[in-house]
Amino acid sequence: MSVEVPVKATGMTQPLDSATTSKDAPHPVAMQVRGLNFYYGTSHALHDISLDFPERSVTGMIGPSGCGKSTLLRVLNRMYDLYPGQRATGEVIFDKQNILNSGVDLNVLRSRIGMVFQKPTPFPMSIYDNIAFGIRLHERVSRSEMDGRVEDALRRVALWPEVQDRLSASATALSGGQQQRLCIARTIAVRPEVILLDEPTSALDPVSTARIEELLDELKTEFTIAIVTHNMQQAARCADQVAFFYMGRLIEVDSTARMFTTPREQQTQDYITGRFG
Amino acid sequence: MKANNTLMRADRSASLLWRRHMCDKLATGLSWLGMLIVVFMLGSILWTLFKNGLAGMSVHLFTLSMAAPGQPGGLANAIMGSIIQTGLAILIGAPAGLMTGIYLAEYGAGSRMARIVRFVSDMLLSAPSILIGLFIYMMLVVPFGHFSGFSGAVALAILAMPIVVRTTEDMLRLVPVAMREAGIALGAPKWRVILFICVRAVRAGIMTGVLLSIARVAGETAPLLFTSLGNSEWSLDLGRPMASLPVAIYQYAGSAYQDWMQQAWTGALLVTLGVLIINIVVRVGTRGGRS
Repeated sequence: MSVEVPVKATGMTQPLDSATTSKDAPHPVAMQVRGLNFYYGTSHALHDISLDFPERSVTGMIGPSGCGKSTLLRVLNRMYDLYPGQRATGEVIFDKQNILNSGVDLNVLRSRIGMVFQKPTPFPMSIYDNIAFGIRLHERVSRSEMDGRVEDALRRVALWPEVQDRLSASATALSGGQQQRLCIARTIAVRPEVILLDEPTSALDPVSTARIEELLDELKTEFTIAIVTHNMQQAARCADQVAFFYMGRLIEVDSTARMFTTPREQQTQDYITGRFG
Repeated sequence: MKANNTLMRADRSASLLWRRHMCDKLATGLSWLGMLIVVFMLGSILWTLFKNGLAGMSVHLFTLSMAAPGQPGGLANAIMGSIIQTGLAILIGAPAGLMTGIYLAEYGAGSRMARIVRFVSDMLLSAPSILIGLFIYMMLVVPFGHFSGFSGAVALAILAMPIVVRTTEDMLRLVPVAMREAGIALGAPKWRVILFICVRAVRAGIMTGVLLSIARVAGETAPLLFTSLGNSEWSLDLGRPMASLPVAIYQYAGSAYQDWMQQAWTGALLVTLGVLIINIVVRVGTRGGRS
């Protein structure tokens, strides 16, 4: 890689101090990544990434396999902390704090920055308990309030009509699409501010995918969303801004419309037109 | 072979095909033979047990304690003693084994300490059970000056533990990484993810391990010889010597009295039936639990 990409990418984003508003992004910034480098042991996986996640909008992250988009997502909720040998340098500013600092309470952080995975991961318990599990971790609520919270979360992912009569049935008996909506419900039930989605529809059929995409449109009125996807149409349909990654570098980030019509980088153009990746 | 020949390609030799065909026949035949030998031996053991043991089945067997030859007696105290000692052994051994298994799979994984613990546990798994009996004799019998049901239970617990350790660790390793991460991603501390998600996900498998360990220790004689010793009286006192089915069988089978030998056969049948029932419960239980 001889191209001096990071400079261009950094030039795209707002300066550090204008965390509130700018004419490019009408939303204030919920999360700011600054000069982020990430290492799997000695392998340098992310190179000097700087990227803003505007509040209550969807940021799509695209790029070929192994480009680092999922890695970036896993930095944002410090998931990489589970694995010794993985480390990050730089800054990820969330609520005026650099969440990469060692003093950050990871359980609280993860309650504020939720994550949905590629494969649906229902817990081996009832549908009700799947939702209640997360709430119980962070709050003490009465039985009736819990019932309300569970129902609310299930309604918001449009799963309530399908499961209201079998809340005590095992969640593993649901279909793949239902399981993924359950996982999203479980995440929003904790009332996070940011939701990270790592290819949330790649294991689902087209109908379930469409439902999740509709759901994202509703969720972004309340949450800041970052979604990693391999599906270009999905990025075009769901995202407000799109970031293109290639070989561990952020090549370009722009509004979805401009990204898919007039990208400034040749690599971006080649990727979104299907010439590689 | 004819059918094969008509489909033969010119560039494949007929002798090669024939050799493969013969090897296949031979291997199939040998595995059938092996299966028949094992089934025959098992069948023969069960047949002998039923043939000799059924005659001694009576109400007295379950209501009367052991008695001198010629006197009316049963195995009630030995049955009760086996239930108490095996039960206590599992109460001690299963939680300890579960926690060790969790350590090996979740906390220690890959560390030097975990490798040592795993090695020791696997060694215990194959250690001669009489050694365990001697060890507990030194630890719990000699210092107190007398044999006791409690020391018998501890000896059995040490035998049960490594079985639970192994199954717990193996089962936890089957839990997908994504499930763990999903728990962590909700902001759950590691111990909650392990106890309420991972262990829960494989509880059927862990239960299987516990039941198999019961089946294993229920028939053990050697570790009880130096610990709970055996007792011909009815006794529920864990601080005193306690009877057990295997020891009673050992004692009766070696005697010269017809009625004692009859009861030894019947006792052996009881132990076998007990183990058989546990194994069937495991089969049926895990079939339901995995779906």
